[in-house]
Amino acid sequence: MKRILPSVFVLTFIILVSGCGYNTMQMKEEAVFAAWADVEAAYQRRNDLIPNLVEVVKGYAKHEAETLKAVVEARSKVGSIQISKDMIGDAKAMSQFQAAQSELQSALSRLMVVVERYPDLKASQNFRDLQHQLEGTENRINVARTRYNKAVQEFNTSIRIFPNNITNRLLLNLKPKEPFKAEPGAEKAPQVKF
Amino acid sequence: MRTIPKKAFPFFLFLLLFSLESALSLEVPPLKGYVNDYANMISPRVRAKLEGELREFERTDSTQFVILTIPSLMGEALEDYSMKVAETWKIGQKGKDNGIILLVANKERKIRIEVGRGLEGRLTDLAAGRVIDLVMKPMFKRGDFDGGFTAGVHALVDITRGEYKADAKGVRKKTSVSSYLTTLFFAGVLLLFIGTISKFLGAVMGAIGLPSIFYLLFAPSLFVLIVLGLLGLLMGIFLPLIFSGGTGYGRGGNGGWFGGFGGGWHTGFGGGGDSFGTFGGGGGDFGGGGASGEW
Repeated sequence: MKRILPSVFVLTFIILVSGCGYNTMQMKEEAVFAAWADVEAAYQRRNDLIPNLVEVVKGYAKHEAETLKAVVEARSKVGSIQISKDMIGDAKAMSQFQAAQSELQSALSRLMVVVERYPDLKASQNFRDLQHQLEGTENRINVARTRYNKAVQEFNTSIRIFPNNITNRLLLNLKPKEPFKAEPGAEKAPQVKF
Repeated sequence: MRTIPKKAFPFFLFLLLFSLESALSLEVPPLKGYVNDYANMISPRVRAKLEGELREFERTDSTQFVILTIPSLMGEALEDYSMKVAETWKIGQKGKDNGIILLVANKERKIRIEVGRGLEGRLTDLAAGRVIDLVMKPMFKRGDFDGGFTAGVHALVDITRGEYKADAKGVRKKTSVSSYLTTLFFAGVLLLFIGTISKFLGAVMGAIGLPSIFYLLFAPSLFVLIVLGLLGLLMGIFLPLIFSGGTGYGRGGNGGWFGGFGGGWHTGFGGGGDSFGTFGGGGGDFGGGGASGEW
């Protein structure tokens, strides 16, 4: 009996530790951080693209200085907000970040509408290339955001369910993370015409 | 014939609504091969030719490139749908993420090239966009789908050729064998542990456990399984005796158990896509790179 006692202890300990979610919660938190890094990278990619876009549009559409200015200003505002990995738990910082990004988004889409008036610009290979890059970037942002939200949801669930919530309160003290909210206006379904 | 009782009516209505719901959201069709021409846009001759070329491309470069044509998007956004396809099929090798999906929606006249993360450096959004604009679009506009697909596939293959090389034959096997070993090691330690508690339990576990592990991993014949069962029975009885010298195994043994558990289960059952000749995605990841266009 004495012989097996230590191994019984160790086995019980391992089962307890793996059963209480200590490892799972930390793994899920790391997954949230990784997903957030992708979100940041995707947004950064868009930021890097904007100067080129502005240059190209400027060459063809000299009268749209105002729209261009709005884009440049929104970009610099986005650049001034630093969001670190600790701040994704912070609802206020997160909504600030999101507001700045969606302002840039709407400035960009205004620019894209304006561009419709300049057939020469639309036909130029330079602009078409940029358009592809911008589209690709927007798509990446979308994908990264969806995945981030999924990771956040999994993490937030994992720290709330029993018995993880007890482990979390006693040992880890992990805070729930903030998901991206739907953009204002996105809750209305788009009208489909046949 | 009995009539359906009135009470069941709401239930049927619910079922009907439920099936409508699932019919409305566009499903990802099963992956049949390299060319999945669900919209019947490509002639059989060209289909066979592309199928062969893409198989050869995966053999030499390990890059997986599949084509999917669908009759209609049914109102779904092109990019959302192609991402759904990418996440379902998992085209591209795991770790290399070298998959390409060429999606064409016939009714909406839309083209999308979805590029795996590992190929984004070579096949940029810009390059993918140019393939659509300059290579495929003009031919599609003329109604020359065979030519458009062939030229598009050739352009994309030319761009991505050489980015990855297929693994040498032995490499994949080596990693799998080591993962089998972890599983066996883990099982051995567990057996040892149970054997110390009760010889009878250990023998039973051994007789059942060893053959079932081999069955899951290698699918051996019945005779081999019986031999393994006997071997497991003996191991269950004698392993604890061999190690009964002292308490020294307590810490080390359990450490091995824990490590073996993670490694063994994770790699043992993950499975590579092309291991047994049937075609499937290799577990590649997509991050939304690529380009879209209309013709």
